[in-house]
Amino acid sequence: MEWEILVENLLNALAAGITIGCIYGLMCVGLSLIFGIMRVINFAQGDLLMLGAYSAFYLVAAWGILAFLGPEFGPFVGAILAGPIVFAVGWLLHRWIVARVSGLRTAASLDEGHFGQLIVTLGIALILHNGGLILFGSMPRAVSTPLSSSAWMVETGIGDATIFLNKARVIAGLVAVVAVVALYWLLDRSRLGKALRAAADNPTAATYMGIDVDRAHRIAFAIGSGITAVAGGLVATYLSFTPFMGIDFVVIMYAGVVLGGMGSLLGAFWGGLTIGFVQQISALVLPPQLQNAAIFVVFLLIVSIRPQGMFGRSAERA
Amino acid sequence: MLDIEDFSVAYGGLRALTGVSLSVGEGQLVAIVGPNGAGKSTLFKAISGIVPPVSGSIRFEGRDLLSVPPPQRAHLGIAHVPEGRQVFKTLTVRENIEMGAYTEAGRARFAQTLERIHELFPILHERAGQLAGTLSGGEQQMLAIARGLASAPRLLMLDEPSMGLAPTVADQIFERVSQIHREDGLTILLVEQRVAEALELCDRGYVLETGRIVLDGPYQTLISDDRVRRAYLGLGE
Repeated sequence: MEWEILVENLLNALAAGITIGCIYGLMCVGLSLIFGIMRVINFAQGDLLMLGAYSAFYLVAAWGILAFLGPEFGPFVGAILAGPIVFAVGWLLHRWIVARVSGLRTAASLDEGHFGQLIVTLGIALILHNGGLILFGSMPRAVSTPLSSSAWMVETGIGDATIFLNKARVIAGLVAVVAVVALYWLLDRSRLGKALRAAADNPTAATYMGIDVDRAHRIAFAIGSGITAVAGGLVATYLSFTPFMGIDFVVIMYAGVVLGGMGSLLGAFWGGLTIGFVQQISALVLPPQLQNAAIFVVFLLIVSIRPQGMFGRSAERA
Repeated sequence: MLDIEDFSVAYGGLRALTGVSLSVGEGQLVAIVGPNGAGKSTLFKAISGIVPPVSGSIRFEGRDLLSVPPPQRAHLGIAHVPEGRQVFKTLTVRENIEMGAYTEAGRARFAQTLERIHELFPILHERAGQLAGTLSGGEQQMLAIARGLASAPRLLMLDEPSMGLAPTVADQIFERVSQIHREDGLTILLVEQRVAEALELCDRGYVLETGRIVLDGPYQTLISDDRVRRAYLGLGE
């Protein structure tokens, strides 16, 4: 019955890949709004994710503000609330710092402000994770929920093969999907969303339409920060973390956004999902140290076949 | 309606406009003609607040426009259809028109203006769901004008609507501009390099050369001026 065990392992890796992939997808969508659509390079995105994880940690575990919700669902509400908290952080970061190297101010410059953004956001990243070390300490934290040690079991009918769906991850994955759908709707259908896209597409023309481009950029940056923070809060429910967690994730996020296709929000989600998927599947055959290598092998393969990414339109912005 | 007085603009120390005075009355079509680099587009950008002035004043319906932040100016009823069309390429045709109607006036009258836009430019109705970046140059120009109309403006500013278009397409655009002026009674400020066509449409014209107004007056005055006939219309002698 060797092959049955193999099938069982594979199916379980698939299930884990999908749930974790949804969370990766969500964080990629946050970056996609900032990098893919508004074209602002933000190296601090991983640290905004970290702030999301710590927001959830303080709301749920350390200060116990959400204790009344119970240990099962409190952590997920904490993750969602991390969104508005880090939205505010993103808003202020943009207002004070990022606006100086992006948007209308740099629209006419040759590099569109990218050099400035590179250096400035790298600086913000350093300040955030070292500041985090001072404020939060270096002890690994977690926002534990009893759901993370229980699973729904699904009989597959293939021999004795059973899929174990970790309850915490499934709920986290669902929260992620709902958040992505909500953001997609906001951006695709609402007046605000269209104005954000117009401001990203052509800042000067957007001004002629009466759109306050600086404000549009600020809102987009803050929403992108908040979305990634929700993903951070969700990660916190199944992974222990330190203030340096952002460095691992920022790489995943950029890979996901490029893989999905610059400028495509749903593409970024699929990009993140693909990465989660590859990571979990590769765990079957590769030692953990090589999982990130597997991600980038697949990344290079896809990008060499479709340089514009899975959902990118090569004609865009031509 | 629009009064510009003794207006000057400089780019990095270089004068782009010097002492320009100009006025557009309610319901008029005013044309600004002149060669490349005369400062025509700069004047429009200054009205929209994209380039800062050195001196002078701009009043719109009696209000000091220079003290109004640039994104607020569209909301006063000024629609700027920029040079090179500048449509939102990654948005659909319909979304572009909706962005034109970002102003309150535009939103309030969206159903009517959309109907009028489709009447003037039926092709935009057909292409409603298509990304604007995939349109031809002429269609993009129509969309840019439509986007301007969608804001339900008091003043429509058109910057070189014929630029880069095939002659027949350009003629079609001029015909529509004239139609908008005649039938909707919209006040229009038009910048053009095709001097003959522009002057033919206008109630009043200004000739701008190297940042200065060298001549102005109603159509009859301009068309019979020797300099204009020789330099721009290829007539005379």
